[in-house]
Amino acid sequence: MSRFIRIPLTARVALVVAGLMVLLGIAASQQILTILGRVQTERVRELATAHVEALSVALGPLVLRNDVWEVYDTLERAASVSEKGRIAFTAVSDASGQVLAATDPRRAPVGSPFEALAMTAQTLDALSLSGSQSILQLKAPLVFQGRLVGQITSELNVGDLLAERARVSFLLVFWNAIATAGLALVGLFATRRIMAPITLLAERMGRSAEAPEPIPAEELPPSQTEFGRLAATYNAMAAAVREKAEAERRLAARERFVSLGRLSSSLAHEINNPLGGLLNATDTIRNYADNPQVVRRSAELLERGLKHLRDVVRATLEQNRIDRSGVSASLADFEDLHLLVGPEVRRRAQNLVWDIQIAPQDVAPFPASQLRQILLNLLLNASAAAGENGDVGLCVASATEGLRVVVSDSGPGLSADARQRLLSSQPVPPGGGVGLRLVHDLVQDLNGQIHLSEGEVANQIEILFPSTARDEG
Amino acid sequence: MDQSRRDVVALLAATSAALSWPGKGRTTPSFRLGLTPVFLDNDANLLEQLGRALAEASGFPVEFEQRRTYEEVTGLLLQGSVDVAWLCGYPYLQHQDTLSLLAVPVWRGQPRYQSYLIVGAEDSATALSDLAGSVHAFSDPDSNSGYLMTVSDLIRAGQVPGSFFDRSIFTYGHRNVVRAVASGLVRSGSVDGYVWEVLSTVDPALTRRTKVIAKSEWVGFPPFCARKDRIQEARIRSFQKALFSLGRLPAGRQVLDLLEFDSLTSGEPQLFDGIAARMSDLDALR
Repeated sequence: MSRFIRIPLTARVALVVAGLMVLLGIAASQQILTILGRVQTERVRELATAHVEALSVALGPLVLRNDVWEVYDTLERAASVSEKGRIAFTAVSDASGQVLAATDPRRAPVGSPFEALAMTAQTLDALSLSGSQSILQLKAPLVFQGRLVGQITSELNVGDLLAERARVSFLLVFWNAIATAGLALVGLFATRRIMAPITLLAERMGRSAEAPEPIPAEELPPSQTEFGRLAATYNAMAAAVREKAEAERRLAARERFVSLGRLSSSLAHEINNPLGGLLNATDTIRNYADNPQVVRRSAELLERGLKHLRDVVRATLEQNRIDRSGVSASLADFEDLHLLVGPEVRRRAQNLVWDIQIAPQDVAPFPASQLRQILLNLLLNASAAAGENGDVGLCVASATEGLRVVVSDSGPGLSADARQRLLSSQPVPPGGGVGLRLVHDLVQDLNGQIHLSEGEVANQIEILFPSTARDEG
Repeated sequence: MDQSRRDVVALLAATSAALSWPGKGRTTPSFRLGLTPVFLDNDANLLEQLGRALAEASGFPVEFEQRRTYEEVTGLLLQGSVDVAWLCGYPYLQHQDTLSLLAVPVWRGQPRYQSYLIVGAEDSATALSDLAGSVHAFSDPDSNSGYLMTVSDLIRAGQVPGSFFDRSIFTYGHRNVVRAVASGLVRSGSVDGYVWEVLSTVDPALTRRTKVIAKSEWVGFPPFCARKDRIQEARIRSFQKALFSLGRLPAGRQVLDLLEFDSLTSGEPQLFDGIAARMSDLDALR
């Protein structure tokens, strides 16, 4: 069955047509042969009846007076005029069951027992042409003037009828085979022609794994047909899929800016807070310009504040640099992350556990941009989930097969939708952000694996990046 | 000629039919000749030629009256339904006191013929005594060659004719006897030697399936007879002359050739002495 399913649909239809034709041919042939057999049997029965009736009329008085010669002479003349030598043999007995005469006296000598001749003979009523023997033997009572005066047995040569039946059988099989083969071929071509739009559709669908390719206008079947409508629907669907994919792509690209936007207020605080101190320092310098100790201390304060501002600005710039896709990750990226996440964590008075147990070479195989985006998204998510006074943690460690990153929080855990976004490639359900889906796609690009674990104390998202990620990615 | 000869022994030997020969003048009553297919197959072609030749030779139309058996034809002759009949020597002798000889055919130089005892070509029998308990075919109970000869032979051999054969049948035709033996319907048959010889030339395929195992003495050929009391009638005289003169007329010659006769002659009753002797053997048994 499975082998049959592997056969192309067009050939399957042709095979089914051929099979049905064979069945039809067998049924029709059987019917024809049955009718032919019935007609032939009827014909033989009529012939045999006429033969017996004629002989009864002619032989009755002769048998009654045991006139051997006249019986023989009559039989011989009857046989000589029988249709195409149809009557092969006839024997007649008297009332006592002794042969009076036969067309072949040597086979049925005068006076021999009649019953021995007619043992296998059929009666007229039961005469049937169903066997394969070319000689049909029948027997009938010889009645004259209402009296049973003897019996007749005749052998009918039905070889020509059997040959005719065999010939009809052969012709039926022969022409049925030709008709079946011809119709199967026609079925194959017709099916291929009918199925051409479907084949085209399947080809188009299979050509691109990411998004179905629309059928060009010049290849579209006429629009009023079912296939035309199917093709139009397919094209509309393909266009929708492409648009959706494009929208998702644009959304993902924008996500980086979205996450940055979420940081903007806390970054403003981060810049604003030291600004007061720095302005105080400049006032102090202006007011105590003659006190070198105060100026020095103020300058140091000013330097520290400006350095902090510089770091914040650099980290922000770094996060949004466009041409850094080829840059390898370094320990500084984790410091940047700490700096970027810090304001969110502080704003919510959260406890941040920052555990980076790696050497620079451990992160070198990974692209900085993707790694930073992944971790930033997860950390901002964790911070949002942990709520006020919650716990947020990042643990990065070297593993035997690559880099192991665990982001933890004390929040309620991921919702089902969020899980789907993070773990599967299925279409994103309507509503909700695309941050987690972006994480999923980026991890997949790096051949990483994401595991979730929800404990009583903390929820953990663990990501394993294989060290070959860069080569393959 | 061969075709015509073949016609002599054509089929339909068993039917009893009347065939009339339309003469020149319908006003003249026909002269009636009785025939039996025992001796002569009622072949239409032969009868037509014979009728035409006899009419030409006698000057009046001749009508054939055919019956199946000698007994019937003899009866017709005795009661006057026919003027002349072509009989066998045996019925002639049976009614010798009433009948007169009119003419006797001359075959192979003499007005005599023989009776043959025949069996199938493959049969091992060589004499009548070998045929005890078998089925035998006679041609006619009033036929000399087709009955009397064999029955009297059995009597002479001390056998009882009624029980020597297991069964005997009558075919009412010498040709039928040959057919019965050839087909195996019967083992043996009593047949007119003249008929068998003619058949051996016109239908050798039939006679080849039989063989002659005994021949009788030569006895008088089946004669044309008329009633004694009418022998002097003019038309019967004229008919007798016509028979004698057949060979001199082209049509008559043709018929004689068909029948393989040399001529017809006036036979003497002594020709049939052999038959008479056998009749007395049979009468002795009765």
